[in-house]
Amino acid sequence: MAEIYLNDIAHGRSGDKGDTSNVCVYARKPAYYKIIEREVTPEALHAHFGDMVKGEIIRYDLPSLGGFNFVMKHALGGGATMSLRLDSLGKSMGSAVMRMKVHVTEEELAEITA
Amino acid sequence: MKKIAIGGGQGFWGDSPDAALHMLRHADIQYMACDYLAELTMSIMAKQQLKDPGKGFAPDFVTRILKDGGKEAWEKKIRILTNAGGMNITGCVEAIRQWAESAGMKGYKIGYVTGDSIKEKIPQLLKEGWTFPNFDYDGDFNEIVDKIYNCNAYIGHEKIKECLNQGADVVITGRAADSALFLAPFAHEFGWAEDDWDNLARGIMAGHLLECGGQGAGGNYMYDWRSVPRMDELGFPIAEITEDTFEITKAPDCGGVICEQSCKEQFLYEVLDPANYMTPDVNVDISQATITQVGPDRVRIGNVRGKKRPDDLKLCVGYHKGWKTVSMLSFAWPDAYEKAQYCADVIMKKMARRGMKADDVHISYIGVNSLHLNVADMSEESLKNLNECVLRIAVFSEDKSECAKIIPEISPLQLNGPPGASFFGGRAHVQEVMALWPTYVPRDALDIQAHILEV
Repeated sequence: MAEIYLNDIAHGRSGDKGDTSNVCVYARKPAYYKIIEREVTPEALHAHFGDMVKGEIIRYDLPSLGGFNFVMKHALGGGATMSLRLDSLGKSMGSAVMRMKVHVTEEELAEITA
Repeated sequence: MKKIAIGGGQGFWGDSPDAALHMLRHADIQYMACDYLAELTMSIMAKQQLKDPGKGFAPDFVTRILKDGGKEAWEKKIRILTNAGGMNITGCVEAIRQWAESAGMKGYKIGYVTGDSIKEKIPQLLKEGWTFPNFDYDGDFNEIVDKIYNCNAYIGHEKIKECLNQGADVVITGRAADSALFLAPFAHEFGWAEDDWDNLARGIMAGHLLECGGQGAGGNYMYDWRSVPRMDELGFPIAEITEDTFEITKAPDCGGVICEQSCKEQFLYEVLDPANYMTPDVNVDISQATITQVGPDRVRIGNVRGKKRPDDLKLCVGYHKGWKTVSMLSFAWPDAYEKAQYCADVIMKKMARRGMKADDVHISYIGVNSLHLNVADMSEESLKNLNECVLRIAVFSEDKSECAKIIPEISPLQLNGPPGASFFGGRAHVQEVMALWPTYVPRDALDIQAHILEV
């Protein structure tokens, strides 16, 4: 097994609705979909963020688009209006998700680095 | 086959007018819609209007879009829709009337939709037993009722369409749902019924892909931002719809990119459950949707489905929550982060001695962890040779005077703190903190009306 950044195999964008952050995560190549599906579970994402995301994380799978939508509740320190964070709208939550480390097999790694 | 093209002209209040003006001059479009309203914008406008009754809308729509491109649009029969009316729809209409009159545009028809603001109906609704439950948090609406700035329902496309049916050249709304501005022209042109859910859903998703302007055409593009051509002349997206097809493209001779990845990033932007994307007009299902490149800077969207619209309307209530102060101080190598941390400790000890009663304090370090917080790389390796670091301390209190206590305590640290502290940007100010109470209201609580004013 090897460790890579999710950023190596995925792209996406973050948005906000009040204190809820959504991040869509798409496979950079169709073959990477199954790696994301296996590795980026709501539990794994919660472990990645710790108490930065205080509420539930829900994953919606979108195989026809080759991606996933993650909805993270109470994730923005109160949301745009109330958050004391510099990034009160969570514009950088997308890249924060991409910073997650994921495990891949040697064969998968060979494909990714090819 | 009939094809209707709509351009997205603005992504928010404060957006650049360049792409909108380029589109009006060079693209083959029949409509352009300009979105000005984010979640908090209505509260900001309400606050402005309290100070000056003539304010409360986005004057940029008149001064930066219509003034430079409105007459040409009218001559080319490109009709423009916008929610720039904000909290003061009639004020916005009057500004447009004055502009059109001075531009000699006799016969210019201004359509506008009123009735989304229901602040004055709150007491009656409470009396009737409506509780305004909060989507996100527990809480009693009665506790904020005296602190409300604005209370606006997200309204749908019906009355906007009625303005178009009556021949409006420009249509102004308040808190219409962003995507409703884009759905209305399609529904008007193709005669879609108000329960034609699949078609309404297509129109909504066209709006969704356009309502953030450049973000739908290579702006904020994570997939491959370096590859975006001419970002300084970024074009905004255009949606083309026929009875059978739904495509996204952009104007000729501008920067930006329209491809599968750029559209996919915007497609789920601020969407929660993709099988139930709620709008006032239709419950949209994009859980099986497809996005396919069909030409240069041209993608086709497929399999967008619609279900019956919700019975209630989403309500955006903005209210006064408290106050905050944000202070900053910068440090350079060596040990920039360590000095900034030490300085934070000094400031907080002083504030404890001053008896500052903050309800919340957030300390972060710009250049280190102010954006990624918990997931930033805090390894010794990444911190030891840091060139510079900015300490940022944000304080929230319901009591304005508590927030003010920290303001004079920052600049003295240049002489009294760790070496090299540099104070910049002037003294901080106490800022008001407004909050949103996300809730809903029955449709029949609203009296939404379409109007036409001819210049």
